[in-house]
Amino acid sequence: MEAPRSPEMLESDLTSAVTLLKHLQEQVMAVTAQIQALTKKVQARAYPTEKGLSLLEVKDQLLLMYLMDLTHLILDKASGGSLQGHAAVLRLVEIRTVLEKLRPLDQKLKYQVDKLVKTAATGSLSENDPLRFKPHPCNMMSKLSSEDEEEDEAEEGQSEASGKKSAKGTVKKYVPPRLVPVHYDETEAEREKKRLERAKKRALSSSVIRELKEQYSDAPEEIRDARHPHVTRQSQEDQHRINYEESMMVRLSVSKREKGRRKRASVMSSQLHSLTHFSDISALTGGTPHLDEDQNPVKKRKKIPKKGRKKKGFRRRR
Amino acid sequence: MNDTITIQSRKFMTNGLLQLKQMVTDVLQLGKATVPKTEIQEKLAKMYKTTPDVIFGFGLRTHFGGGKTSSFDTSVDYAKKNEPKHRPARHGPYEKKKTSRKQLKEHKNRMNKVRGTAKANVGAGKKK
Repeated sequence: MEAPRSPEMLESDLTSAVTLLKHLQEQVMAVTAQIQALTKKVQARAYPTEKGLSLLEVKDQLLLMYLMDLTHLILDKASGGSLQGHAAVLRLVEIRTVLEKLRPLDQKLKYQVDKLVKTAATGSLSENDPLRFKPHPCNMMSKLSSEDEEEDEAEEGQSEASGKKSAKGTVKKYVPPRLVPVHYDETEAEREKKRLERAKKRALSSSVIRELKEQYSDAPEEIRDARHPHVTRQSQEDQHRINYEESMMVRLSVSKREKGRRKRASVMSSQLHSLTHFSDISALTGGTPHLDEDQNPVKKRKKIPKKGRKKKGFRRRR
Repeated sequence: MNDTITIQSRKFMTNGLLQLKQMVTDVLQLGKATVPKTEIQEKLAKMYKTTPDVIFGFGLRTHFGGGKTSSFDTSVDYAKKNEPKHRPARHGPYEKKKTSRKQLKEHKNRMNKVRGTAKANVGAGKKK
């Protein structure tokens, strides 16, 4: 009331104030009636919340406390007191912060709450609910079933476990499947084909082709750093052997083949052979296989006449 | 370059089933030939503070290039119970049974013909 007011303004203000207050009174009476009905219902235990979501219950309680504090403040202010340092203000601020912090939790539970509400409204699970796809033992096929039941099963559609066979009725003796024995007759052509396939596979994983692949592929370049640069299959096998020997406290004997393999591996890795020689990719390009000077040429397999071969004793080539 | 022999033991385990202790021993002998088992025995006895006659070494293998040997060792503490007979035999005097193999087999075959407690009396046939 700082500036001097004309009586007209006061008049209009007064009338609007009176109408507003009347409205206020009516609304307050309506709200009070509703709240009293609600309170009666709650006290009559019409809304049991023990089995509900605790988050929602906490939010309920918090909102109620907020309302109570707010009304307390309004009461104080309306009766002319000041809000400076009022205890209810601090309480309000606290409740407000807690509600703000609960909001992300609310977001996370949104799906669950919506589903519960829908279930409560419709009375059953919705169609797209994945809980419907759990296995139902009543739908499973028994072992004694006939063809008709199998067809019914196919029409089921929804449950994933519909194809599962249930517990057996009677125990039947296991009969292994009888396969027709086929005569083995690998001709020379087939052997050639197999050899060619193997050579192709080996050529595909040679260094030349690998580098080409890396050049033209979109994948990022992999640099493998962790292992020893000269780790080979042979060294891994050696390590395996050493571990076995030490844990079993025995010494294993080394066969001739094993010795040959070891020697080859050590010789190969110690030479600078791989620096100047590329592996043979003629299987892919279709040319003649070229060999280095010190490698043996590919031997062609001779057909061993089986008739005249007699086993003189038992010679074991290990 | 020092000429001493260094012994390290790895994978030490007390084998409760056989009631002995077993380990893998690494011997570093620079500039020397492979260390004989008796020396390893003595050194281990000093390390583990026992007498050398309860330690048996076997499976010595020298790595390529020399300088390092690994061996297996067992140490038996309880009256040499479960040690296979050839190992103590290698380390010291060992008395073998005097009965020949043929005799044992004949005795067994005679026993097989009889049932029950009479098996014990079959030994009389042997003395004939």
